[in-house]
Amino acid sequence: MRSFLNAVIFTVAVLGFFTYVCIYVTGLSGGGDGGGATGVSPEAGEKIFWGDGQCHTCHSIGTSGSATRGPNQEGLASRAEERAKATGLSSGLEYIVESIVEPDKFIVEGYDKIMPKVYDPPIMLDREKILAVLTYMQTLGGETDIGAVMKFKDRIPEASKTKVVPWVPPIEVDPKEGELIFFDDTRDVTCSKCHLLNGKGSKVGPDLTGIGAVQTPQYLIESVLKPSKVIVKGFETMYLMTNDGMAYNGLLVSQNEEEVVLMVDEDGKMEELVFYPDEIAQMQKQDVSIMPGNFSEMLTTKEFYGIISFLLNQK
Amino acid sequence: MDYIKPFINFTSKKLQLRIVFALFLAIFLIALATGTGMAQENAEAAKDAVAAEPYKVVDYRNFFGLDGRLIVWIISELHLMFAAFVLAVPIFVVIIEIIGAKGNDIKFDNLAREFTKLLSAAFATTASLGGLLAFALYGLYPAFMRYMTDVFHPFMFIYALCFFGEVFCLYGYYYSWDLLSKTPKGKWIHISIGVMLNLFGTALMMLANSWATFMMAPGGINMETGTVTSLYHAFYNFLWMPVNIHRIIANVAFGGFVVGAYAAVKFMGSKTDEERAHYDWMGYIGNFIGLSALIPLPFAGYYLGREVYSASPVMGNIMMGGAFSWTFIIQAILIGMLFIGGNYYLWNGMSRIKGAERYTPYIKYINIVIFFCFAVWLTPHNLPLSGEERALIGEQYHPFSKFFGVMAAKNAVVNLLILSTFFSFLLYRRANKGETKPFSSHGSAARITLIITVGLTVMYLAWYALGLRGIDLEENIKQYVSPLITCLVLQIIAIVIALLLTFANKGKFAQSFLFVVTAVMAVIYFWYYGFVVMEKANLVLRYLSVTQVSIVISCLIVNTVIDVLIFKDAKEVGGIQWGKIPHRSQYALLLLCVAIVTLMGLMGFIRSGLRMNWHIYGYMQDTSAGAFTPSIAYMGWTVSLIVILFLALVAFVFWLAGLADKKKKHA
Repeated sequence: MRSFLNAVIFTVAVLGFFTYVCIYVTGLSGGGDGGGATGVSPEAGEKIFWGDGQCHTCHSIGTSGSATRGPNQEGLASRAEERAKATGLSSGLEYIVESIVEPDKFIVEGYDKIMPKVYDPPIMLDREKILAVLTYMQTLGGETDIGAVMKFKDRIPEASKTKVVPWVPPIEVDPKEGELIFFDDTRDVTCSKCHLLNGKGSKVGPDLTGIGAVQTPQYLIESVLKPSKVIVKGFETMYLMTNDGMAYNGLLVSQNEEEVVLMVDEDGKMEELVFYPDEIAQMQKQDVSIMPGNFSEMLTTKEFYGIISFLLNQK
Repeated sequence: MDYIKPFINFTSKKLQLRIVFALFLAIFLIALATGTGMAQENAEAAKDAVAAEPYKVVDYRNFFGLDGRLIVWIISELHLMFAAFVLAVPIFVVIIEIIGAKGNDIKFDNLAREFTKLLSAAFATTASLGGLLAFALYGLYPAFMRYMTDVFHPFMFIYALCFFGEVFCLYGYYYSWDLLSKTPKGKWIHISIGVMLNLFGTALMMLANSWATFMMAPGGINMETGTVTSLYHAFYNFLWMPVNIHRIIANVAFGGFVVGAYAAVKFMGSKTDEERAHYDWMGYIGNFIGLSALIPLPFAGYYLGREVYSASPVMGNIMMGGAFSWTFIIQAILIGMLFIGGNYYLWNGMSRIKGAERYTPYIKYINIVIFFCFAVWLTPHNLPLSGEERALIGEQYHPFSKFFGVMAAKNAVVNLLILSTFFSFLLYRRANKGETKPFSSHGSAARITLIITVGLTVMYLAWYALGLRGIDLEENIKQYVSPLITCLVLQIIAIVIALLLTFANKGKFAQSFLFVVTAVMAVIYFWYYGFVVMEKANLVLRYLSVTQVSIVISCLIVNTVIDVLIFKDAKEVGGIQWGKIPHRSQYALLLLCVAIVTLMGLMGFIRSGLRMNWHIYGYMQDTSAGAFTPSIAYMGWTVSLIVILFLALVAFVFWLAGLADKKKKHA
């Protein structure tokens, strides 16, 4: 028991030393992270440079910082003027802007193409923060001109993402309910009348097996509510008029010299009709989908999102 | 004396147990019945309220008021630590069993069995913690887990199957020990079950690794929409293999040092010489395993770090030059503890070997080298300095320590540290060995073994040298690669010379020669050349590091094989007196255990923290209240708590495992 207690005391002492070192290091390194920097000003830009922007992990400024992966930014503003002349740009500021927007455009000799686009993930600086950094960079060997910086506002892309969270339906729905509606033969809105899913249904429309793995929620929502907006290749509607004046809208099943087969909606039932060349007066592709465009009227909100959730689960 | 047997014997333990059980059952049934009734009432009462308020999907929850992230952090680390132990121990248990079976030595077989006893006790705890972790993740991070499940659900079923495989193999392996030890054929069947156990365990680890590395370097998904475009690439993502390699090696070091500490505690509490001898030997084996894995670990760590940088330069910069750079100073302290503790134990171990006194004068020099390496490794340099720090120092870098703080110096001392520890280990190995037999007397098997070893090592070095030659770089930068190729060629020549010297019965000289050539090139020359490259062609630094590591590894491999062969059948000087080791050495074993467990906690924090405020780096942001990078002090407290919890649980589980033995002794 005594040996065990000795072991416990020794263990606690080692961990105490570890914790002490951690506390000591925290005191040395501080905790400045650039948070709270707002507005377009050199002060905010400096905070972002040494914090959120992660610029300091590659660039030093004079004797500040010690990173060597990217060029030292001391005297950047005046150096940028020279580079702008050499590259045919109108000003040094434009050179700096272009270097941030398209980091691979101008590579300083001796350095590699490693600079990320700071407006893309994972850094994701928003436009205002990039403008602030630009004003700070103007102070490195030059004078700040916020007005000039603001003229490049539109050249700087907005952060590509703000908050990315997985899609969830706006109301609580059950994908199983969506599945029932999808295959329910008794209703007008039965999806399986036209779509195949895991071997069940018919092939009038695109096969939806595994659709959740390849399509976004937004695409599926749009495809149901506005089916004509994007029509999958091979499922365009064909308009056909016969010599006796009968008009048909349907999907082209096959076409050769002897016959044209069209799948048409006959009183809610999909049927294949065969037309011979000598009876066809006119035939042309339509930019309207054969899929009904009134699902928003035929489905309740809960049913609609239930179907979308069900389809998104098909992976 | 006669006495009347009572109709009911209330002093009977069996009866007491039955009464307690009956009471427990009654209470349980009453509670169940009451609970059901209450639940029904509550359900009816709640119906109206539920109908009035629509159900809300939540992305995050806390744990009874505690930060969910902290809870997940603690549970996942505990699970990982137990899993590391459970995965590592079977690897060396099977090796020890094979050694025992081949040499027909029951001592090794008993040791393997004792380790397995600890393993089976720890396994249930690992599984329980795994279940708890899954519940914590699904309960506290439902939105994130919904996505992870969407992506990885096929692999989750495979994981469950592998888990069954591991359970059956583990218990089959443990409980069939006696049954299958009766015949040689049975023994090899038993060993095969052990191998299967390892395969299932490794598969489990690799499956879980892919989820963790997917979060760091997602692949196979559309980064805008999250749509899975390739499940294969989501699974086999960029960091998967580097983490697999690093974890397997680190787990072995972890397992070795944990059983070493177990043996140390047992040794300190031993009452007989026999017990002391047994636990001394067990501690030695634990330390041997731990150190053997520790030596290649920095190489695997370097490979992982390099791949992190390749996967995302931003993440790489955050790791080495940004928010996490200071944590690597703490890592250096812990690794320094491991190397110093390991060497200290080896040197103490020499006191139980007659003949070791021949080598003790060297130890103080090795000591100096190790402390020097440690000091250089600790020197901070490549860090963002604040204005006050610069004012304190007077310039951007310290006038003296600036030469020690850069990668060139750190790589050099890490390699020197490894070479020194390896040298220390060789001294320990030969402490008991006297006169050796000529190499030529070992026959053609020894020659073939050495030729194959040298051949494979030379092939690897030549392959890397050719790769460097064909590398696509600008001419003004490429000229800095040529010295690396020259060093690789020189190392190949040195290895061939070492082979020929060994064949000429000058094996010890061959080892020294190879050591010197390696140290001169990998430590001295590359330290200097690293500065040149950093200044003039920074891009070449990564090739320099790999060349340096390759040269050191080639030396370790060839010298180990030469050592094993030349000391084969060597005369023993005085034998090893197991149990005659100073008491203080056992604290070195404890230090190794605490340091490796803490190191695992720290590295877990770094690996996970590198994602900053992302669940899945670049795709899914962490929008919870806990999405901040904790300070190093906060990390220190949390990791210390985790280490205490882990060690307390391990001590408890090992105590439980030892109860059966106590019972047997008293019977």
